Amino acid sequence: MHRQLLVIAVLFLATGSAWGQSPPLPDQTEQVRVLLERVGQLEKRVAELEAKQGVSPTPILTAAERTPVQKSESQGTTASPGTAHDQMAQEQAVAQQAEVHYPSLQVRGFADIDFSATDQKGTTSGFNLGQLDLHLASPLSRKISYFGEMTFNAHANGYTVEVERSIIRYDYNDYFKLSFGRYHTPIGYWNTAFHHGAWLQTTIDRPEIVRVGGTFIPVHFVGFLAEGNIPSGGAGLSYSFGLGNGRGEIISRPGDAGDINNNRAWVANIFARPAKLYGLQLGASVYRDKITCQNNPIVPAVPGCRLTNGNDYREWITAAHVVWTKGAPEFLAEFANVNHHQVLTNLVSNSQGLYVQLGYRLPWSEKTLKPYYRFEYLHTPQSEAVLPNLDLVESIAGLRYDISSYAAFKGEYRHASRDILKTPTFNGIVNGLFLQTSFTF
Amino acid sequence: MSATHKRFVAILWTMFCLPTILQSPSAAQTARGADIAVVVHPDTPIDDLSLAEVRRVLLGDRQYWNSKLPVVLLIRAPVARERDVVLRVIYQMTETQFKQFWIAKIFRAEAASQPKIVYSNDMQYELVSAIPGAIAFVDAHNVRPGLKVLRIDGHFPGDHDYPLR
Repeated sequence: MHRQLLVIAVLFLATGSAWGQSPPLPDQTEQVRVLLERVGQLEKRVAELEAKQGVSPTPILTAAERTPVQKSESQGTTASPGTAHDQMAQEQAVAQQAEVHYPSLQVRGFADIDFSATDQKGTTSGFNLGQLDLHLASPLSRKISYFGEMTFNAHANGYTVEVERSIIRYDYNDYFKLSFGRYHTPIGYWNTAFHHGAWLQTTIDRPEIVRVGGTFIPVHFVGFLAEGNIPSGGAGLSYSFGLGNGRGEIISRPGDAGDINNNRAWVANIFARPAKLYGLQLGASVYRDKITCQNNPIVPAVPGCRLTNGNDYREWITAAHVVWTKGAPEFLAEFANVNHHQVLTNLVSNSQGLYVQLGYRLPWSEKTLKPYYRFEYLHTPQSEAVLPNLDLVESIAGLRYDISSYAAFKGEYRHASRDILKTPTFNGIVNGLFLQTSFTF
Repeated sequence: MSATHKRFVAILWTMFCLPTILQSPSAAQTARGADIAVVVHPDTPIDDLSLAEVRRVLLGDRQYWNSKLPVVLLIRAPVARERDVVLRVIYQMTETQFKQFWIAKIFRAEAASQPKIVYSNDMQYELVSAIPGAIAFVDAHNVRPGLKVLRIDGHFPGDHDYPLR
């Protein structure tokens, strides 16, 4: 097992290094630079000639206001046929750039292919398709936009399609934007920073506290959200406040088709991006809900409450984060406390989760290499009635290599201790090697 | 702390300290040229910005000049010097990081579209003139009448302490 892991790791790193040594085509870059300089000189020369001939500066007109008569006049008096053709081409380009069409749908895809091998007994190593993720963005007018995200997920007996986000947003100004739909709940940082495209995040997987399909925090939220900047000078404060359905019967899912009780969840998030510390973000979030644990039995693949006793629980989630996102170094740290209070008996439990991630974009190879490390910790007490046993201590060390602007290789070694895996004969510690290529298209 | 965790800390320490010691500014980072003027459509209700405010505009954190006038970002195509200065001084990103930043920005539903790409100064001039709310970055020697040049941190291009060069 260890020998196999070693061979795969060496192959991965060797491939990455070899790719990293490909020259960046300096000739083409230099040619483009020379041509651009030449264009700049010619533009300057034209401006000087126009000034000498007493031609007034170009009037401020929209592209639509430029009439064919004006074009033919300028062709007849000052330009040769070749120059006139160039001018028309440029005017067309300007008109195309200036025009805005609504709706204007843009589609972007994200995908990843993964390999995993661990020393956990009963598991097999191998490849698997990650999520195929389609993102849609479409301005519907100058102030109204639609955003959607769908994923295609591989399972043992086929694929499932999931609507991850579907949001329509109205922007009044920078201070107030109102949207409706299905979101990633704005608790903490990661959940709203990286979403489902693995290529966007440094690591292969999300931290356990925000794992998609996980239960520690409600990853999705259906309702409305108000967000915007707060006038705060150099502090760079922003807020978001949402009201929605909260957790569903399956507590990892929101109430997509309706709330399971007559109580709405709400979430508030505030963060600062100080102007003088570009790259720094500090934030805090609170989330409030009432969870009704149904009397139906738990199906392992469909996580419900740990105790299916039909009781109601008040849920308070408080979270804070500090991130430095400039890449050299990258620092992400997030902490969340989940408080459950049983309405009937006043029993209270607190579960904590955190992660700290460090990365550094190395200065060599055009800054395409980024080694990273993440530490994760989760604790759910015995008294916890809603969440399953999530106790975890994990270290992840890895390397990300950006093979191009739109594709990356990642390799990780993980060392995890999971309470739920502990048996009289197994200490619950799992080591593993994980590889991924992720990309956007 | 277990032995495994101690090993991780040691690897980390090496990983973070070594590049910092070895890193030195490249020629591109230290090169200096003509000032880059920040120009806007003449009707834009703004005359001066701090460098931090320009950064907020370019990062898409400020998307409106006022409630009726959205910001329209114009950025020169790759290899143009204006773009190099904007990426180096304002974004502090490489070309790849810049592309990734805007893909992520739209993916997070924080912006509906990327900055418009312009391929020449003429095109830039005409677009800024034609689009209300447009903002662009022009070599100070190529600024033409009819556009509004913004003061940055209280300085015009050509001033000793002008930050965009």
